[in-house]
Amino acid sequence: MLPEKLKSELTAQIARVDHPREMAIDVINALQDHYGYFSDEALAQAADLLGMSPLELDELATFYTFIYREPVGKHVIHVCDSLICWMEGDENLVAHLCDRLGIQMGGTTADGLFTLLPVCCIGYCDRAPAILVDRQVHGPLTIDALDRLIDTLRENHS
Amino acid sequence: MTATYPQVLLKNRKPDRITTLSEYREAGGYEALRRVLTEMDRQEVKTRLADALLLGRGGAGFPAGIKVSTVAEDAPFPRYLVCNADEMEPGTFKDRVFLHAEPHMLIEGMALAAYSIRASHGIIFIRPEYESAAKILEREIGIARGEGLLGERILGSDYDFEIVVHRSGGRYICGEVTAQLNALQGRRPNPKQPPPYATDKGLWGLPTLANNVETLACIPHIVKNGAQWFKDLALTPEAAGTKLFCVSGKVNRPGCYELPLGIKLSEIIETCCGGMKDGATFKACLPGGASTGYLTADHYHIEMDFDSLKKARNRLGTGAVMVFDHHCCMVAATLNLTEFFARESCGWCTPCREGFPYLRDLLWRIENGQGEAGFIPMIKTMCRHLWKSYCAFAPGGVASIESLLMNFEDEVMAHIEGKGCPFKK
Amino acid sequence: MPTLKIDNREINVPAGTKVIEAAERLGIMIPRFCFHPALGSVGACRVCAVAFTEGPVKGIQMSCMIDAQDGMVVSTTDAEAVDFRRHVIEFLMLNHPHDCPVCDEGGHCLLQDLTVAGGHGLRRYRGLKRTHINQDLGPLVQHEMNRCIQCYRCSRYYQEFTGYRDLGVMGIGSRVYFGRSAPGMLESPFAGNLIDICPTGVYTDKPSRYIGRRWDYQRQPSLCIHCSLGCNLTASARYRQVVRHEARPNLEVNGHFICDRGRYGYAYASIADRPRQAMAAGTPGPIVDILAGAREAIQQTVEKHGPGSVAVVVSPRSSLETLAVVKEACGQHGWTGPAAAHTNRQALNRNTAVSCLRPELAVSLAADTEAHDVLVIGADPLNEAPMLALSLRQVQRRGGHVIVIDPRGVQLPFDFDHWAVHPSAMGAILQALIQEIGGHRATAPDTPATFDITKLARRLNASPRPVVVCGTDILTPHEIALAGDLARALRRTHKVAGLFYTLAGANAFAAALLHDQPVSTEAVLDRIEDGGVRLLVAVEQDLWREFPDRKRLQAALKRLDHLVVLDYVDSPLNREAGHFIPTQPLYESGGHWINQEGRLQAASPVMAGGEPIEITGGSDHPPRVFDRRIPGDEPLAAWRAVAALAGEDEADPAPQLKTALADFHPAVNLSTPEATGQRIDLEAIAHDLVESGPAPEPAEDDAPADAVVLLLVDWTFGTEPLSAMAPALTRMEAAPVARLHPDEIARLGLAEGRPVTVSLNGNRLTVPVQADPRMAAGVMAVPRHHLLEWQVFGETRVIVKRSQLKAESE
Ligand code: SF4
Ligand code: SF4
Ligand code: SF4
Ligand code: FES
Repeated sequence: MLPEKLKSELTAQIARVDHPREMAIDVINALQDHYGYFSDEALAQAADLLGMSPLELDELATFYTFIYREPVGKHVIHVCDSLICWMEGDENLVAHLCDRLGIQMGGTTADGLFTLLPVCCIGYCDRAPAILVDRQVHGPLTIDALDRLIDTLRENHS
Repeated sequence: MTATYPQVLLKNRKPDRITTLSEYREAGGYEALRRVLTEMDRQEVKTRLADALLLGRGGAGFPAGIKVSTVAEDAPFPRYLVCNADEMEPGTFKDRVFLHAEPHMLIEGMALAAYSIRASHGIIFIRPEYESAAKILEREIGIARGEGLLGERILGSDYDFEIVVHRSGGRYICGEVTAQLNALQGRRPNPKQPPPYATDKGLWGLPTLANNVETLACIPHIVKNGAQWFKDLALTPEAAGTKLFCVSGKVNRPGCYELPLGIKLSEIIETCCGGMKDGATFKACLPGGASTGYLTADHYHIEMDFDSLKKARNRLGTGAVMVFDHHCCMVAATLNLTEFFARESCGWCTPCREGFPYLRDLLWRIENGQGEAGFIPMIKTMCRHLWKSYCAFAPGGVASIESLLMNFEDEVMAHIEGKGCPFKK
Repeated sequence: MPTLKIDNREINVPAGTKVIEAAERLGIMIPRFCFHPALGSVGACRVCAVAFTEGPVKGIQMSCMIDAQDGMVVSTTDAEAVDFRRHVIEFLMLNHPHDCPVCDEGGHCLLQDLTVAGGHGLRRYRGLKRTHINQDLGPLVQHEMNRCIQCYRCSRYYQEFTGYRDLGVMGIGSRVYFGRSAPGMLESPFAGNLIDICPTGVYTDKPSRYIGRRWDYQRQPSLCIHCSLGCNLTASARYRQVVRHEARPNLEVNGHFICDRGRYGYAYASIADRPRQAMAAGTPGPIVDILAGAREAIQQTVEKHGPGSVAVVVSPRSSLETLAVVKEACGQHGWTGPAAAHTNRQALNRNTAVSCLRPELAVSLAADTEAHDVLVIGADPLNEAPMLALSLRQVQRRGGHVIVIDPRGVQLPFDFDHWAVHPSAMGAILQALIQEIGGHRATAPDTPATFDITKLARRLNASPRPVVVCGTDILTPHEIALAGDLARALRRTHKVAGLFYTLAGANAFAAALLHDQPVSTEAVLDRIEDGGVRLLVAVEQDLWREFPDRKRLQAALKRLDHLVVLDYVDSPLNREAGHFIPTQPLYESGGHWINQEGRLQAASPVMAGGEPIEITGGSDHPPRVFDRRIPGDEPLAAWRAVAALAGEDEADPAPQLKTALADFHPAVNLSTPEATGQRIDLEAIAHDLVESGPAPEPAEDDAPADAVVLLLVDWTFGTEPLSAMAPALTRMEAAPVARLHPDEIARLGLAEGRPVTVSLNGNRLTVPVQADPRMAAGVMAVPRHHLLEWQVFGETRVIVKRSQLKAESE
């Protein structure tokens, strides 16, 4: 269920713009933040708020990198695998993360803390190899720095 | 290093924070806007832009002055100004650096561009990875509004202009302007071939001018200092202005540098970036992002401006210089780029949607010892055909593959004949 | 009119023609996937590439994206263009399953054709294929996503063309997926067209799955007879069974599409309980004997009671051939009738519409799409004539405007204005509109202020191309005439005002030409009741299902000396008949129909008839029983049977048909083949049948204030009697409910979801109540649903007092 407060905030935001559709991504993001991912329930609610059909919204939701239509962990780690990060060894980072978290690329840890996903160039090539965790950039990363980052994220939850 | 060249956009760049509104004003910011609103007419702004030969900094290099004047005088209202802060081109991060340094310069540039076409709505379309910049922009827009620099009756004139920040869901194709307009309207961001042109029927069927962050940021300076001043900034006669170059890869100091157009590639690498990393040898670079072709050592001293690169059958693109040293396998690098394009193809047209996965497969086989000599003509033909795709994405995407075969065919053959990557041995 | 050269042949085409279409006029079929004449060009598939060698455009370009221009020189055989097209096809085949031999689209697949034609024969790609999971899209359309070539036709058709929003494209890149957000029934009643427009086998016809290859079928041009629009289709039969309909393009009628009622409504022709055996008083016999028996019964009745004691009712769905022979027979013998409408109102409605349809006003369904403003009066397009809704959708897409004045909760798949006015107010509104259009200020009738007649009149007057659409189901003749007046009034200010009526029955227009003063079944029943009529011949008119007073019908039948029934559907009526003669549906008889705009159209026979092998052989093939004759081949074309009843024993009915058709009506000329497909001569129809003077006060104006008007109405699925027999459509039908405005529900003391019983003259109808805020106040709409015994009140428009409504507790 969508909290009344969030719902009325979004309704107000949508009411302020000329065309509700232009708010689609913002509404999706807000519901995704609330539910942890853009679930079917969220899809139906967002469609309702925007006066769009679920399909129309799904057409958008499934297009974009940062909209998750399937459950993801509390922290989504996107490892940049485009040219510069690749040159600087993103593959090592991925191998290390898979090893440490015990998951494959695309997987989520059993405790639901982490999901590992690739991402195209995130515009931090001057800080390669770089990753995004919950849309926060980290880089340039060494294996050690990565370990510390994971440790901190873990600790925050225990 | 860069101090020897005049700084315009990044002159007041601070290491860890933005230039505040008062700092920006102290340095002469919003002066151009005030002058335009009180002393100059619209046409004058357009004339200056045209005379300054300001070419779009987002990658395509289209003359900004011409674009502004394609909005018809009698076109309907409201009109829109879109600032493209999507910056999804691999290797490119200049707008990010700029937005974290001079948000007000962009706001002023947008207000000026909007004024010249009488647009009342400004939208900054920004990629999700730049959330911190989006927050800065929203805050500073609020501050500017509080100071009467945005909103209703700007600086006491009868001119109203509002800016909102639109966050993208994140896809490379959203940087393509027609796709971006679709995205802004809550539609699938597939490109849309003109006609109609955006300046005629853009957002919601209304006139829309779209420009890159850097392009818009140049406008206050051109208005204030004149076209000739701007042209004189460049080192080569045909070029005009400075350019934000972002250098990455195998150099000692990757980063974003404001340099005059026409500066030599060698100077960027050696003087600004402190030379090649670990004493390696320069092998090649992509001069302007993932959708440009490789420049080899033959072009090490090329003058980095739109014309010179065009002459070298390449493109300045976004000015994102990605540097490879002699340890780099160009097949693997090209495979990486092709993977990017296969993943980011919007899926609208056949050659691009299916061609990139196909090319990726062939390159993967070459890189991993399953290559055959017959692949080379296949790849060449396919690249040629990908030029006949719907939008500029695919021609950009094959640029690296075509230049791989043009410049590094020996290296490709070595993979095929040696049944594997020579760099992995 | 640009002139260009394609493959060295010159052609002159209208401005705006795309090069791909110009080539088609020369008979050069440039490959295409995304381009479709109804959907236009989008340049997505890139398979239509050709070389432009001279003229304003140069190089390899997409022929669907470029307007033909003067001086263009185009080569479709240019080596680079051919190689590019071959590559495009190779690209499209990367992920396409290699199962043409067992694929249900094989043989009528554009992808298959173009792959072969394009010269892509050997697979070079060594990567894996990506696969998709299919969705259940409901009973009509089968989904097989792996075959998709991403041409975007389906999503564009579904969303842009039909205006529905539950099917589209998801994902990105080579993983784009066409379907619904979640599996489930497609919402559009035009979804079946996906099957026709998908250039490969992603959407296939579900009911006919595994029945045969298209080349196995007997395929013939046919017509839809499930409403009056007369959409063109191609019918397919296999093993003596009608198995599929496809839309047949007719750019003057249905364009490229048909509705799902039309596409899937055919099952009645082949179902197991279709009567195929002639009977005398329930005893089967050879058809010749039964016909002779019936003829004898008629003769005896005539001898005893005079020729007027024999009456004929015929269906407005029957072919022109049947109507003509029936008319001839009645005329010749002095029989009563033929009646081809149930009630007096319905008969008058139809004839009024036909007589108001002046040639200068008549517009076709296709021409409707070019209207700028359409005023819909007393019609519910989606429910009564579905393809009309699709035409109106195109009006709206082109920037036009649709206004519906109707008491029902009319829904359309696009934005439109709805004036939900009470039926009794319709006439006054129309009159006021006509006055305003003529420039006279009208005294505003008693309607809510939101219905601004002056504004509407101004809008119509200012419209470059207004069209008046008028239904004939719920209105009165007066209003129907007023709709004609309205169009005529607009015509005074416009060269191109149009008028478009919908009628009840696929051949209702022809039925209107039977008499100047129409006869109704109601009137025939009067005569039966007063003893004037002693023998009734019902020709393909299933009174049991369709006459709105079953009790009265039954009583009347009891009074008859004799009943003769000719029909192709099973009905209790058939069992009441002294003589029953099975007839052929149009798939066997063929014939002509005149649609609601007066267009004469032909359907070819598709098959010879006979009981489907599925029934005779229990799906076993070949049948194990051998006979000279096909089992169940007795049914006759109705016109033959009628000719046999009316004519001489053993006479050849063909000349009789010829005379009957020639004498049918001066407006209908079948003597030249060119007449088919054209509008008949509307000029030759008497236009003075109805006076459009001041309103004959409708009785219900005197109705007490606490009354509601009960309308028994059409629904897209479930009410039209023939299509309601199609098992494929069962799941598409909504359960019957009585729709009322929520305030009305409260006012009447009813409860949403609970049944209400309407009792009138000792008859009762019980049906659950559903709130519909789009309904007008004072109105209750109930579908003539086959699951509901709605045939109780003798009319489909009656006044019900509050005291006659009872809320049921369950
Ligand atoms: S070239 Fe690629 S990105 Fe451009 S429209 Fe075609 S599929 Fe989309
Ligand atoms: S499903 Fe058919 S119509 Fe739709 S995109 Fe795929 S091939 Fe085209
Ligand atoms: S609109 Fe009427 S005639 Fe056309 S296909 Fe549907 S039911 Fe048949
Ligand atoms: S038919 Fe022209 S691009 Fe598809």
